[in-house]
Amino acid sequence: MSDSLAKLFMDQGVNNRITGTAVALDLDARLMLRVRDGDEESFRVLLEKHRNPVIRFVYRMVQDRAISEELAQEVFLRVYRSRGTYEPTARFTTWLFRIATHLALNWLRDGRNERGQQRLDDEGDGDMPVREVADRRPSMEQRMVDGTRLQEVRDAIAMLPEKQRAAVLMHKYEEMEYAQIAQILECSESAVKSLLFRAYETLRARLAHMSRGGLE
Amino acid sequence: MNEADCPLRKEETADLWLDYSAKRLDAAGVAMLERHGENCLECSKFRMEQTVVWDALDRWEPMPVSMDFNRRLWRRIDAAANAPWYRSLADSLRFANWKAVFPLAATILVIAGGFLLDHPRNSAPGNRAPGNRAAASIEGVSVTQADQLEQTLDDIQMLRQLDGANTPNGGSSKRM
Repeated sequence: MSDSLAKLFMDQGVNNRITGTAVALDLDARLMLRVRDGDEESFRVLLEKHRNPVIRFVYRMVQDRAISEELAQEVFLRVYRSRGTYEPTARFTTWLFRIATHLALNWLRDGRNERGQQRLDDEGDGDMPVREVADRRPSMEQRMVDGTRLQEVRDAIAMLPEKQRAAVLMHKYEEMEYAQIAQILECSESAVKSLLFRAYETLRARLAHMSRGGLE
Repeated sequence: MNEADCPLRKEETADLWLDYSAKRLDAAGVAMLERHGENCLECSKFRMEQTVVWDALDRWEPMPVSMDFNRRLWRRIDAAANAPWYRSLADSLRFANWKAVFPLAATILVIAGGFLLDHPRNSAPGNRAPGNRAAASIEGVSVTQADQLEQTLDDIQMLRQLDGANTPNGGSSKRM
């Protein structure tokens, strides 16, 4: 992969073609331009780099493991399908997370989460095919699942309005700037700050009791 | 200092404390906020509660990704590449927000139904729409013209016959 990336930096052809673009192109956008030109290897690089952040963001949005992977697959499928018309008008991750947010919000709004939510602690789901799971040993989350604290955190996030939830997840876990969150949620930066302010206010009220040594 | 007086407890400036708990502030910003927090009871409480939330959220670790995720994705990509256009369309609509689409479709149907009820199609000549009446009149004019032409031809023929009957030597006058 390093050879591929090094070659990418040297690739003046890509640089020449993107001259005039208002946005300073990040590496991912350059990779995507190569995907547009038919380079599947660049798509594999993008997939490896962004797969986990997209899956965990969608998972925390929908709180359903099987659905989050299905939605994440849909995200990358749409990226691949759109390669022919891709224009680097924003950072690649902004575009990627906009697709992910759009799909997750649609899924939540459509109420499909109401039918048989599968939590991490659930075993299997009749509607979903059996997946090969990376590690069958109990993860940190599985070990804590019987405790109420983690569940309280998840419930507190799940009870947030959808846009506030998306804003908090991008701010806290993906460490995105306000401007980027604003671009993804298609609102102003001040609107994002307001969303976050209200979301954290709610979370502080719901999780305040954890301050009494609850996390220890 | 109470909450109403503190400039850092307003919604517009609350991102400073969010940045503080997210460790995104530079050293000068951190020092300024900590100095302020020492004198502001509300901000001190806010910082403590926000730190609790931050630490609680840190406990939520990501789940492991299925090992066959990439394989399934490439299978879907290959299938999408070979799928007919209607299958691709159906796939792209798979995650559409149908809850929003249904009311819209229902509204359009109601409007269309109301329009059709308000403008019934009636084949009776008197109730025809202006466009239909125009078409009918063009049709009528064509038939009338044909009749008139036939009548005129008959009249001409009859006049010739009468003219021939009144002048027995029709050509003699010319010769004279």
